[in-house]
Amino acid sequence: MKIICINCPKGCELEAEMKDGKPVVTGHTCPKGEEYGRAELVNPTRMVTGLVRVAGMRKPLPVKTKAAVPKKKIDEVLFAMHQATVQLPVRIGDVITSNVAGTGVDLVATANM
Amino acid sequence: MEKDAIIIGAGVIGCATARELSRYNLNVAVVEAGSDIAEGASKANSAIVHAGFDAKPGSNKAKFNVLGNRMFEEYCRELKVPFRRNGSLVLAFGMEDELALAELKQRGEQNGVPTFIIDRQELRRREPNVSDKATAALWAPTGGICCPYELAFRCAENAAANGAEFIFDAKVTGLKKEADGAWLVECADGRAFRTRAVVNAAGIRSDELNNMVSSVKYSIQARRGEYLMLDKDEDGVFSATMFQVPSKMGKGILVSPTVDGTVIVGPTAEDIPDKDDKATTFDGLEKVKAGARRTYPGLPLDKVITEFSGLRAHETTVGDFILGEVADAPFFFNAVGVESPGLTSAPAIGKFLAEAVAGRLSASRKNPAIISNAVSWWPKTREMSPAELAELVERDPSFGRVVCRCEGVTEGEIRAAIRARVGARTLDGVKRRTRSGMGRCQGGFCTPRLIEILGSELGLPPESFLLSRKTAPKGLRERETGGGEQVVDATLDVLVVGAGPAGLAAACAAKDAGAESVVIIERDDAPGGILQQCIHNGFGLHRFNEELTGPEYAQRYVDMAEERGVPVLCGTMVLDLSPLEGGSTAVTAMSPQGGLKKYIARSVVLAMGCRERPRGALMTPGTRPAGVYTAGTVQRLVNMDGIMPGRRVVILGSGDIGLIMARRLTFSGAKVLACVEIMKKSSGLMRNVVQCLNDYDIPLLLSHTVTDVEGREHVTGVKVSKVDDDLKPIPGTEIHFDCDTLVLSCGLIPENELTKKAGVEMDPKTRGPKVDLKTMATSVPGIFAGGNVVRVYDLVDWVSRDSEIAGRSAAEYAKRLKGASLK
Repeated sequence: MKIICINCPKGCELEAEMKDGKPVVTGHTCPKGEEYGRAELVNPTRMVTGLVRVAGMRKPLPVKTKAAVPKKKIDEVLFAMHQATVQLPVRIGDVITSNVAGTGVDLVATANM
Repeated sequence: MEKDAIIIGAGVIGCATARELSRYNLNVAVVEAGSDIAEGASKANSAIVHAGFDAKPGSNKAKFNVLGNRMFEEYCRELKVPFRRNGSLVLAFGMEDELALAELKQRGEQNGVPTFIIDRQELRRREPNVSDKATAALWAPTGGICCPYELAFRCAENAAANGAEFIFDAKVTGLKKEADGAWLVECADGRAFRTRAVVNAAGIRSDELNNMVSSVKYSIQARRGEYLMLDKDEDGVFSATMFQVPSKMGKGILVSPTVDGTVIVGPTAEDIPDKDDKATTFDGLEKVKAGARRTYPGLPLDKVITEFSGLRAHETTVGDFILGEVADAPFFFNAVGVESPGLTSAPAIGKFLAEAVAGRLSASRKNPAIISNAVSWWPKTREMSPAELAELVERDPSFGRVVCRCEGVTEGEIRAAIRARVGARTLDGVKRRTRSGMGRCQGGFCTPRLIEILGSELGLPPESFLLSRKTAPKGLRERETGGGEQVVDATLDVLVVGAGPAGLAAACAAKDAGAESVVIIERDDAPGGILQQCIHNGFGLHRFNEELTGPEYAQRYVDMAEERGVPVLCGTMVLDLSPLEGGSTAVTAMSPQGGLKKYIARSVVLAMGCRERPRGALMTPGTRPAGVYTAGTVQRLVNMDGIMPGRRVVILGSGDIGLIMARRLTFSGAKVLACVEIMKKSSGLMRNVVQCLNDYDIPLLLSHTVTDVEGREHVTGVKVSKVDDDLKPIPGTEIHFDCDTLVLSCGLIPENELTKKAGVEMDPKTRGPKVDLKTMATSVPGIFAGGNVVRVYDLVDWVSRDSEIAGRSAAEYAKRLKGASLK
């Protein structure tokens, strides 16, 4: 499978294949690329960034998943963001929802408000 | 209540008539189908005050043109409307044209308009940029230029000051004569008004009103004219209005300066069946370009800021202005078929009709002592002297907050335009009254602010102003400098313009390199720049060795600036930069809190970033509805203001912000139908194509472009065509998308208006200043530049790196300058 790595702007073209039940990646130029290629075969993941309602304000709070979450969980993560409402003040890194959508990853604030 | 006179139509003719009629003891109302003044031909025409040499002698067009032209100076002075008698030139290209010039000259004599034939040499002397194929010209010194909608607004304001009432969204559908002789004016929404007299100033629909009441029928043909508007960089390219020899269809394609400093090019003349069709077309714009190049071979297409079209009300049975009381409809007065030279004639027609109506109603003139010349107007800060501006900001700090950076329009002006007697109620209304959103970024930056102000003034949710906008374009005046400002700090070491990633990095680096007093000036309300709205991840891999979101990356630098004690003056706009003898620079800046201030800085770092290419610069044909935004504007609306601009979206261009917004809009519940890119590959990073389009099955249509925008009030769809190797659309390849939003991501342009003011040498390739890459020094000693103001970067990490170089160089320069002065 041809994959374009999304780790950095280089966008390396990877070739990832299952060989003997193991993912094998070629074409990467760094360890992150190799890791990404493997994950794309086995369990593709993405960072999810989004917005959360702030009580009493129109302006939303930007948030992110603290680590990449399984791609198939993105919809559930977005739903959780949609459900959440935060009270100010908030600092960067504050946990907004822990273990968001059962991913084991926390949803954290990415701005001071 | 019964009116004495109702004027139907709030264009320039209706408003000029209302202004005159309100000086009589009469109860006057203006009934308008649209939601504002000047919604028809008055907002989209050539803005020329014609000399009057080409109208048929003896016609109403000739008579009122000449009368109106003579009235213009005083009229505009009273109403405080900009007007300039720049003169008109009609160009001849060869013998045949020269014969036509002689004929025009003769007509001019019959009409009482002075004209002179000048030869090729004299023409070149006056207008060095004119085509050398022009062999002679007719010079008419009494020709002029004006702002047509501003004239209409101010006539309306003055009429309102004298008691006239303005009724909007009232489309007249019936005119009935009551038993007692009064007229009943019926509107589509059921409202009806009784009045003794009616003035029909309904422009393109004036035939329909006449035909309701009279046995003498008229027929108006909509004649569309398409225009291009050029950036005020082109100001001064011609001093006169440059015509070509007129044809049967009109005065041909002209190139003219405008009173706002832009250059207008057009119009075409095309008879069309639909009286509401104000779309621009591919063919029409090609005709404008070709016609304009005859006059101006150097026409720079990269200076086009917008296109638009207007409809002339051409009467086909008489072919002249039809003015006055209708013989078989007593107390019904016509202004039918008022096309060019209608703007020029407006003061004279207004006076003529008002006198006719007042005479018929035996009305007396109001006591001169109570007739007001007032226009409840808002000061134009961009035209004020520093002293006047400083005083105004002290009285009302909102005049110190610049909302539209391209045209220099402040919050105070916008609020005043909304609060005026006949105040703005739409985004378009604010734009045309204040020029906010009419400059080179075409509302990309100020739209979110404008809807917020409109919302707060009118008590409506801001997003309601995005449902419809309607538009027209123009340019900023140089502010007068010298005198008035307070000189602040004795001398700063380094002054940084802009607190985005570039400015923050430069300021920190300058401080670390030993500069003592370092200050950042920022026009937004908070530091961080555009990163504040870039809530996605992918920043900082190189600079911080971890992946951050935009606001997180910005906060790192905000914290670093704070640790170093670098003050960021927010809500402050730098208006002028001028290099001083001795090597330092004077910086004029304005803010609501601080008013107008002048700083002296040993060195300056420019870090103003970039802006997006607006729709106008792309020359995409079609209508001009609400719902077309640049990607950055959508990003601001969604991520900062919590406003979703639409539900079904097409994205034109595959720049990174467009790709990022495809994903964001999908996350926020919109359906992104396609991303359309004219080139053979995406202009954005591959990783963004993968994670923003491919992940969500959004098609990327390469070698395609948008060839038509549909919808009158709001976007209803777009047409997309495949393009050939020359990027020309291939007929027969059209795909139609039903959508309510078109997002543009077609490139970024370094924002260098200040840079140019400071006299810095520019690089035409990057559109940024020429810099020495080792020091980031510009051509002006003591002025450095960093970040997207220099060239558009892919990665913020490199913006920070290069701006740090600029900051260090600025600190060293300041040190040297200090050392020199100590000696």
